[in-house]
Order: sequence, then C-alpha cells, then structure tokens
Amino acid sequence: MDHEETEMISRCQQGDQEALKEIFDKYHKKVYRIAYGVVRQREGALDIVQEVFIKLFHTIKNFKGRSRFYTYLYRMTMNTAIDHARKTGKQSVSSLDAEGSFEPSDSVEKGPERILLQKELEERVKRAMDKLPAEQRAALIFRDVEGLSYQEMAEAMGSSIGTVMSRLHYGRKRLQALLKDYVGLHGQGRDSSDPKKQNLPGSKKE
Amino acid sequence: MKRPFFLLILIVLFLSLFFSSADAQVQVRLRAIHASNSGSSVDPSLRDLHKELGSLFSFTSYRLMKDETLNLSLNQPVSVSAREGRIVLEATLVGLHKNMPEIKLKVVREGTEILNTQVRLLPGRTILVGGPRHLRGGVVIYALHARF
Amino acid sequence: MKDSCSSISKLLERYFDQEVTDKERVLVEGHLHGCPACRDALKSLEELSTFIKVPVEEAIQKEDFPWVWQKIEREIRLQKKLTWWQSLRSWIDISPLFRRKVWIPAVATVVVLLFITAQIIFKKTPSYADASVVEYVESETDNVMVYQLEKQKVTVIWVFDEPAKDQTTS
Repeated sequence: MDHEETEMISRCQQGDQEALKEIFDKYHKKVYRIAYGVVRQREGALDIVQEVFIKLFHTIKNFKGRSRFYTYLYRMTMNTAIDHARKTGKQSVSSLDAEGSFEPSDSVEKGPERILLQKELEERVKRAMDKLPAEQRAALIFRDVEGLSYQEMAEAMGSSIGTVMSRLHYGRKRLQALLKDYVGLHGQGRDSSDPKKQNLPGSKKE
Repeated sequence: MKRPFFLLILIVLFLSLFFSSADAQVQVRLRAIHASNSGSSVDPSLRDLHKELGSLFSFTSYRLMKDETLNLSLNQPVSVSAREGRIVLEATLVGLHKNMPEIKLKVVREGTEILNTQVRLLPGRTILVGGPRHLRGGVVIYALHARF
Repeated sequence: MKDSCSSISKLLERYFDQEVTDKERVLVEGHLHGCPACRDALKSLEELSTFIKVPVEEAIQKEDFPWVWQKIEREIRLQKKLTWWQSLRSWIDISPLFRRKVWIPAVATVVVLLFITAQIIFKKTPSYADASVVEYVESETDNVMVYQLEKQKVTVIWVFDEPAKDQTTS
C-alpha cells in the first residue's frame, strides 16, 4: 500500500468525507465490476456500489492494515453483492423489450439476430452463475473479471490458496457443464493446426 | 504530551497481557484416514487410534492416506487435501490460550464449504472430523492432535 | 500422450491463470504444441472466461455513474449521528479533569483496575477438564453431529455427506 493511500485511509478513518471521495474516485469502477459480475444488472450493481461505500465509511475503522486495502474492499463488495443477489431473489428473465436492453447503435453493426443470440447467451451465463455456490461464483469473478492472483484471492476471500484453486476448478467445471451448448460454439477463430498462431496465455506478466 | 503518555501506558499493559498470543505458533499432527468396509486391516501407523476408531465406528478397514505435521501460525490458514484433491481441510490457528490452541477448521468438498467449526485442542485429546465420502467407497476421517 | 495429458491437465488451469513457474510453463507449452485435446480444453477455459468477463467490460464502458457519489454523500449525512463512543470522547475532550494535573492518580487507578480485571478474567478460565472442545459447528449443506468420548479423550465431528446432492444457490 503506498504512502498516499495509507494517508487517505487514515483520514477516512477519522471521518473525513473528502478522503472517502478520493477512495471512491480510485475504486468505484473496480467495485462496480465485481458488483456487476455478481448481479449482471446495471441498477443492482449501482445500488451495490452505493451501499459498499456507505458501509466502508462506517466500518473503515476496523481496517487494521493487516491485508491490502483493495482485498479488504473487494471482500466487502463481494459480500454485499451476494447478499443483494440473495435478497432480490432470482432475477426475472430480462425481456428484450425492457428499457436499455436494446441499443439502437448495435443494430447498425451486428443485426438483430446476432443481438438476440448475444442476449440469450448473457442471460444463460447469468442464470448459470446464479446456480453456483457463492464461494465458487466469487472465485470466478475475482479471477476472470478482476484478474486477481491466487494470493490476492486468498486474502480477499479469507481462505488458503488451495481452497481458492479448488473453488475455481469446481466453479469452472460446473459452469462448463451448464453452458455446454455454448462453450466451443462462440469462441474466437481457432487454428488448431498451428498453436503458435494462437495467443497462448500463461506467459508471465511484465 | 500527557495524553499520549497515558495511552502509551495502556498500550504497554494490554500488549503485555496478550503478548503470548501475538507470537502464537502451534504444531498439530493431522492424519487423513480412509475408513471403509473393503478388507479388514488397520494401518500400523493408526495403532494408537485403533481402539477409539473401533469403539466409534463399524468400519473394518482403516488406511492412512496422509500423515502431516502442520505448523500453524496465528491467522494463517493451511490446507491439506485428500481424495485426490476433492476434499480440502483448512486449518487456521485463531488463538492460543494457556497452551490450548483454538483452531478453526473448514472442510471444502469440490469447492463447496460443507463444514465450518472451531475447536480447542486440549492436551491429550484427539479430534476426529469425518464423514465426506471417498470415491472408492467408505469415508474420509481427519484425526487432529496437538503437539505440546 | 494420455499419461502426459493427465499430468498436464492438472497444470492447465494454473497455466491459464498465469500461476505456473517457468519450468511448468515450458512443460505445458511443449505439450500443447502436439495435443489438440489439451488445446481445446484451454480454449474452453478462454471462452468461459470471455463469457464471464465481456458483459462486465461492456457494462463498465457504457456506465457514467450518474449521481452515485451525490447519493452516497446524502445517505451518510442522513445517517450521521453521535454514537455513544463519540459522545464519550467529546466529554473527555472538554472535561476539565484532564486539563488539570490529576492524570497521575487517574493512570494509577486505571492500572489497579486493569490488574484486578485481569485477575478476574484469568480466574474464570475453565480447567482443562471443564473446557469445551467444540466452540461452534455449522454446515450449510449437510447435517452435522458432535460426539465426545470422555474416557478416551476423543471428540468426533461427523458430517453426514448425502450422496448426489443438488447444489442450490447459496
């Protein structure tokens, strides 16, 4: 944690709302990404962002600096998002006529059939994610949406790296089974004859 | 100047009261056992538990899968997997009070938490956590024993 | 190839998550060059990740967070009220007692009180024989039983693992 952030957190712990605004400016997009990853719905995600920062303001005094601040915030966000999803129950299937679900500009580039397929896929992914146990869902979102390392995920979830890997493995396995009609169908162009043409992941980050 | 001094005395007093738990570290022997009714043998390394296992369960065979000594530090989770990684036991030392370690145990089966418990390992006492099914029949039992 | 696939499959997810060592990476990439099945498995992982990630990326690009900060500010303002601790602190701040030189006896009193409290706390600690072994036990998925054998000094925590249970959203 850099000195600037330490100072910001310390001010916020003393009740300085300006410091909270600075934290908000720095992290609100990340919080939104996690919230949206869980609820997959704009209004719900915005409500969660609001709730998280209000909660943070009241509970930041409990942050002792034993873990990194962003893992503390991510944990709070994930718990709030999962509680929110639980309270609101199963989301109703989003209608294609619902406001905001059809972007006129999309039709110029993609065509209505493709948008329908995309919407259907998004809905299927959302329903499949809803079926996962909370910890598996959290693991997938932290990894695939936020790109946290296993160590960071272990900190954010308050568990060991072994447990994190187990949750990722079984979450992916379950999701693949639930989305088996789509996996392998909507992927990018594959050139199985020459693996060098593919951008193989796994290369260490700079 | 006076208030910080007053606070300092309080801090020193509290630190001295809780100093022993700050550096807490404990060794726990953990054995993962496959208990089943296939065959009728007891692993020689489980001889010390044979009597207890026999009086508690009706399995005919007890095979030792893992025997590890975990060095637990305060709030640092350590996990041990069994059943080819499908069952993970996670142990975290959460306190040390008068030589009695307080340990939080979580059992995760295929990524789902099926048990969350907190126990105190008294001297000479063994904790058996069991029940999750083994792929080849029978169940997995974890035996924990603190090394004082 | 099968044996090799079996050992590589254990590394594949870590490779995909960029959590492998250099040695492991070379091993996996070497295997992938000649194994379409493993390349397909990797591709599936990529696709799954895309399904999870892309809608979120699209949503964040479109989002302008209208009035979110203003709503947070307003809510905090409405919720703001002195907690009992803040009241106590404000009392301590303005109390004349702490402006006068009476803090030495005050500190001495606190030290004595702490000493007495510590004695009480330690005295209440149960002996080994009386101390309970299991503080709490919980399971959201299965029934659990706790059983103690006093003579043999064994405590059993048993999870009744039901076969082929459907997992519902938690």
